[in-house]
Amino acid sequence: MDALTRRLLDIVTYRRLAFLLSAMPLGLVWFVALVTVWSLCVGLVVTPLVIPVAIGLALMTRGFAAVEAELARSLLEVPAAAPAPPPGGGRFWARMRAQFGLGFWRAQGYLMLRWFLGFPVAIIFLSLLASAVGTIFAPVWVPFLHGGAHLGFWRPHTFLQCLAIVPLGLILLPATLLMVNPVARMFGLIASAMLPPGTHPRPFPSSQQVGWPAGESPGVGSRPSRVPPRRALRAHALFDGSLLLVLVLIWAVSPGGYFWPVWVALPLGLVLGIHAWFVLMDEQDLALRVHGNAALTGSVGVTGAISLFLICVWAISGHGYFWPIWPMLGLAMVLAAIAAAGMLGTPGRTELTERIETLESSRAGAVDLQDSELRRIERDLHDGAQARLVALGMSLGMAEQKLSSEPERVGELLAEARAGAEHALRELRDLARGIHPPVLADRGLEAALASLVSSTPMPVELTVNLHRRPAPAVETAAYFVAAEALTNAAKHAGAGRVQIRIEERTECLLVTVHDDGRGGADSEGNGLRGMRSRVEALDGTLALSSPPGGPTTIRAELPCES
Amino acid sequence: MRVVIAEDLALLRDGITRLLRDNDIEVVAAVGDGEALVREVVARRPDLAVVDIRLPPDFHDEGLRAALAVRRHAPGTAVLVISQYVEPTYAEELLADRGGGVGYLLKDRVMHVADFLEAVRRVADGGTALDPEVVAQLFARRRQNDPLDRLTPREHEVLGLMAEGRSNAGIAEALVLTVGAVEKHVQSILSKLDLPQSATDHRRVLAVLAYLQA
Repeated sequence: MDALTRRLLDIVTYRRLAFLLSAMPLGLVWFVALVTVWSLCVGLVVTPLVIPVAIGLALMTRGFAAVEAELARSLLEVPAAAPAPPPGGGRFWARMRAQFGLGFWRAQGYLMLRWFLGFPVAIIFLSLLASAVGTIFAPVWVPFLHGGAHLGFWRPHTFLQCLAIVPLGLILLPATLLMVNPVARMFGLIASAMLPPGTHPRPFPSSQQVGWPAGESPGVGSRPSRVPPRRALRAHALFDGSLLLVLVLIWAVSPGGYFWPVWVALPLGLVLGIHAWFVLMDEQDLALRVHGNAALTGSVGVTGAISLFLICVWAISGHGYFWPIWPMLGLAMVLAAIAAAGMLGTPGRTELTERIETLESSRAGAVDLQDSELRRIERDLHDGAQARLVALGMSLGMAEQKLSSEPERVGELLAEARAGAEHALRELRDLARGIHPPVLADRGLEAALASLVSSTPMPVELTVNLHRRPAPAVETAAYFVAAEALTNAAKHAGAGRVQIRIEERTECLLVTVHDDGRGGADSEGNGLRGMRSRVEALDGTLALSSPPGGPTTIRAELPCES
Repeated sequence: MRVVIAEDLALLRDGITRLLRDNDIEVVAAVGDGEALVREVVARRPDLAVVDIRLPPDFHDEGLRAALAVRRHAPGTAVLVISQYVEPTYAEELLADRGGGVGYLLKDRVMHVADFLEAVRRVADGGTALDPEVVAQLFARRRQNDPLDRLTPREHEVLGLMAEGRSNAGIAEALVLTVGAVEKHVQSILSKLDLPQSATDHRRVLAVLAYLQA
């Protein structure tokens, strides 16, 4: 109960509610503005005027998306960003194409979604809240209402009768507020999938501090990383499905004969179809198959979905004159224009640019890491083994000198020299182990981790699920991620239990380290930065969830083929 | 005592050869890789093979494999594996045939000449010599309600030396105690940890290691 109260009083819930309700004004504005400009585009497609209007559309979409991204970041605390403007320079057609890259279509989809999905959701929440508040205060206002309140089955109109329905409101209000979190989470997933922050890490309100409870969303980490697209799509479909179910139920219990939910189902289906198309594009690299032209691939999907939508509307609204032919013709011409622009431009320019930026930053990270590692090794050698060998040489030199004058001191000096040699060896051994543990090369990841775990002074549950030996670089990175996380758990988190899981997936190696310590890990600390550089150097991703009070989960995905 | 040495670095190979010869141990062959070791051992039947773990061609754990091959091809030959680093897993593999006459030491130990020679003789006689570092790593593993916590600090030391393969006399010498006092400690440890009495030092090592690895 305590947890429930805390959740209801939590400001985060109200921020999320504000986000959901914001769909009413914003969704309406986006929808009206975009539909107008799109219609203008379609209407002008045969004239040169279409070019300024299309550019206007791209700028508008980016502006709207920026507002939405800011809302998602500040109210839902998920990583989101408007699509980056295309890089300057280049030929006119290439720039045009870049304007209508993947980011544009994603943003377009998201804005439409705020209307088709966000608006009805906002209406539902608003009416639920209004009914709850109205019921709670029923004794105050209903008795003054002519004819009392309509509850369907009952019509209370005296003060006492109204008092009887107050508990209804008292249940409805927290129930509605509890629904805010799961619904907002779904929108958060969609927002970060459709407005991905891209390759530029940008600060957003410390998500790991007040964000989702650990374990619910491992993709949302210290660094703006994307929610798995498939998961977002599933959440989206699930939500659409449940919304429809509710509407169908309402239709079933209400006397109305006309099956009106179909008018909600159609736009929902349209948006879901577009969303699914983009997920498919991402997963299957469809863009690369259509001449590397993401804009064309994206618009093929969108055009197809819109055409299907229009045909359905025509079919349901009583056939007659086949009016959808006109917008479809317009869409076909837009498609042709995009295809023509694609032929003129360089294939897949935007995607390649994005990819190059990612690689540049991860390569810079790898170089930095290597550089700092070499510096550390140099420092360790200089201050450690080298100094010890100098001291050892001095002891031996003195022993040689004393051999004739003070033979009784020679034994002491020799023992000193031997102790120095042993110390130097120990330091070199630790250094070598830190560069690359010998057992990792000899026996592979499982043996190396088992050895690491066996000398850890706390219970560690190690699960290794490998069918074949990964590439050496992957193995090393996985080992050091686990080792570093284990050190952090022992040193900083004061953990009592640690779980390490290594799993082989179709295309990647998944390293998960979970501890029950006090959390609050600093994602910009040296250890985590090094870990991330190691992982990103292999084109992998690292996600951290470490709310204050724990638990901490670190999850690294390492592509197998690197 | 007749010994074959396998060590790829000439500097160390010659050093160990000289050290052993200076102490009246006969080095019948000194080779640079695992295959040559097995060949020499089968041909010359020494009492002991001293093997570096990292040998050509891949410089992984060829020495360990060669040592295990020696045990298969020439049963009864004691093996002493030396290395720049120690891993409890390797110790486990070496001790797996439970035959005795096994040693696993850091190369650093060569510097304590007397201790090293003592270990060489112990292994050649069918005993065990496990590096203190391996034992320390086994001790580092913590269990819930660890029975090791019931041991006194002195008993801890004695248990560590038992795990290294030392006899009661050896333990007494290392801790500057009488053999009787050591025997008393050993009895106390065995009863606290619920371990069986063992006929030989080697069996005692196996029991202690099995306990530490459980």
